[in-house]
Amino acid sequence: MEEMEQVIRIFPQKLREILRTAGTEGFRAEELRLRISQPLMMRAEGRDWWLKMEKGYVWRPVEETWERKQIYCVGEGEIRDTLEYMSRYSLYAFDEELRQGFLTIPGGHRVGVAGQAVLEGSRVKTLRNISFLNIRVAREIPGCGDQLLPWLYQERNFCSTLIISAPGRGKTTLLRDLIRQISDRGLKVGAVDERSEIGACCQGKPQNNLGLRTDLLDGCPKAEGIMMLIRSMSPQVIAVDEIGGKEDLEALRYGKNCGCSLLATVHGNSLEDIRKKPVLGEFVEEKVFSRYLVLGSRGKPGRAEGIFDGEGNLLWGKNQLGEGEGEK
Amino acid sequence: MKWIGAGLVMMSSTLIGFQTAWQWKMRLKWLEQLRHMIYSLKGEILYGHTALNEAFGRVGTRFLQAEGERGLQKLPLFFLSVAKRIDQQEGEAFCQIWQEEMKSLSASPLKEEDMASLKNLGDHLGYLDLTMQERNLLLYVEQLDEQIDFLRLHLKDRTKLYASLGIMGGIFLTVAML
Repeated sequence: MEEMEQVIRIFPQKLREILRTAGTEGFRAEELRLRISQPLMMRAEGRDWWLKMEKGYVWRPVEETWERKQIYCVGEGEIRDTLEYMSRYSLYAFDEELRQGFLTIPGGHRVGVAGQAVLEGSRVKTLRNISFLNIRVAREIPGCGDQLLPWLYQERNFCSTLIISAPGRGKTTLLRDLIRQISDRGLKVGAVDERSEIGACCQGKPQNNLGLRTDLLDGCPKAEGIMMLIRSMSPQVIAVDEIGGKEDLEALRYGKNCGCSLLATVHGNSLEDIRKKPVLGEFVEEKVFSRYLVLGSRGKPGRAEGIFDGEGNLLWGKNQLGEGEGEK
Repeated sequence: MKWIGAGLVMMSSTLIGFQTAWQWKMRLKWLEQLRHMIYSLKGEILYGHTALNEAFGRVGTRFLQAEGERGLQKLPLFFLSVAKRIDQQEGEAFCQIWQEEMKSLSASPLKEEDMASLKNLGDHLGYLDLTMQERNLLLYVEQLDEQIDFLRLHLKDRTKLYASLGIMGGIFLTVAML
C-alpha cells in the first residue's frame, strides 16, 4: 500500500475523501499536521501546504494563499475520531506511547500527539484532550545507503558507526537501509526498535525489509533491549535509533565490550555537537565508534556531508560523495 | 386419513417440545462459551495490553480451533469478523461494527436479553484506560454468570417439562380433534 494511503486510513471518512480528492501523489509529503480549529497542513518539498476550496479541495502553498475563509480547518471531532481509528479503538493499549507523546501506526509512520498532561506526582501519566497531531510519513528507500556503505567497512569488518543528523533528514530511513544491507552481506544484526519506526512491526511482523539476518526487538526500551539481544540472539551488529539517555549509552558500551559492532543514530548537526554532549562526548574520546556519518540538510536520505573516522578525521567530504566507491 | 393426521400432530407437537428443551441446553452452552471467550479477551487486554483487533483475532482463532469439532463456531467467527472489520479501517465507530457483526448471531439460541447485554458490552469496549476495560468485561461476565446459574439451576426440570408438555400437548390436540 502506498505510504500516503496508509496515513489517510487513520482519518475519519469525510477527511479521507477530501484528502483522496485533493491527491497527494504529486507531492513527497513529509508531515501532516492537525491542530484543533486550525488549517490542516502538509509539509512537502520544503514548504507548507493547506487545502483550499476551489471546485473541490486542492493543495495550495501557505505563503501564496492569504484568504483563510476557504481553507479547510480541523474540528475537535476529527482529532478525537482520528485517535480512535489509529489506535484501532484501543487507546488503552497505547498508554506508554501516549505518555511519551507519540504512537506508531502500521507502515512505521509516527504520530506525535500533544494536549493536556495528566500527572501522577511529578510524572506524566498520560495525555488527555489531545488537540494536536503531527503525522510523519515514513518511507522505505532501498539503496539509499549504497554510496555510504563501503566507507563503513575496514578490511571487510563493519566499523561501529554513529549517524549524526538533525530531525527530518532521513536518518531512520538510512539506518533501515544500512541494517538491511549489512544483514544481507552476512552479519547478524540485532535491532532494538523502541518506537517501531525501523521495522514498522504489525503484530510482531516487520513491514519493512531489514535483511536476511536481522532480529528485531520491537517496542522495547533501548537499554534493556540491547542487553536482552546480547544475551539471547548473539548479534554481531547492534542497531538502535536515536540514542541519547545515559542508560542507552552504557548498554551500547557494554555491547561494544562484548565484541559487537554498533550502528546508531543521534540528533546533532556535526561531530562537534556530539563531542559537547555529556556521555556521548566520552564515547568520542574513547573511540567507541570508528565512523561518524554526518547527514546533510533536507534532501534525499543518505546524502551525507561528511564521513569521519574514530579520531574525527574527515575520510570523505560532501563534494567528493558519489565520485568514488570501494572498500576502505 | 384421520389417524395419519393425528400421528402428524402428535409428532410435531413432541418435536416442538424437544426442540424447546434442546434450545435451553444450547443457550446454556453458548453462554458458557461466551464467558470463556470473554475471560480470554480480558487476559489479552489486561496482561498483553493488546489492541482490540488483535485480541478479538487471537481469541476467535483459538476458540475456532478448539470448538470447531463441537459445532460451536458462530461465536469465534463473530469475534474474527469484528477483528477483520477493525483492520479494514473503514472509518466507522466501534459500536457500529459490533452491532453490524452481531447480526450474524441473530439465528442462535441466544435470547433478546442476551443480545442486549452483548450489545451493551460493544458500546463500552475500548473506552478509556485498562481499568475501564477490565470493569466493562467483569460487569458483562457477572451478567453472564447470573444467566448461566439460572439456566443450570432449571436445566433438568425445564427440559423435562418442555419434553412432557410437547408430548402431552400432542395427545391433547389429537384427542380434541378426534
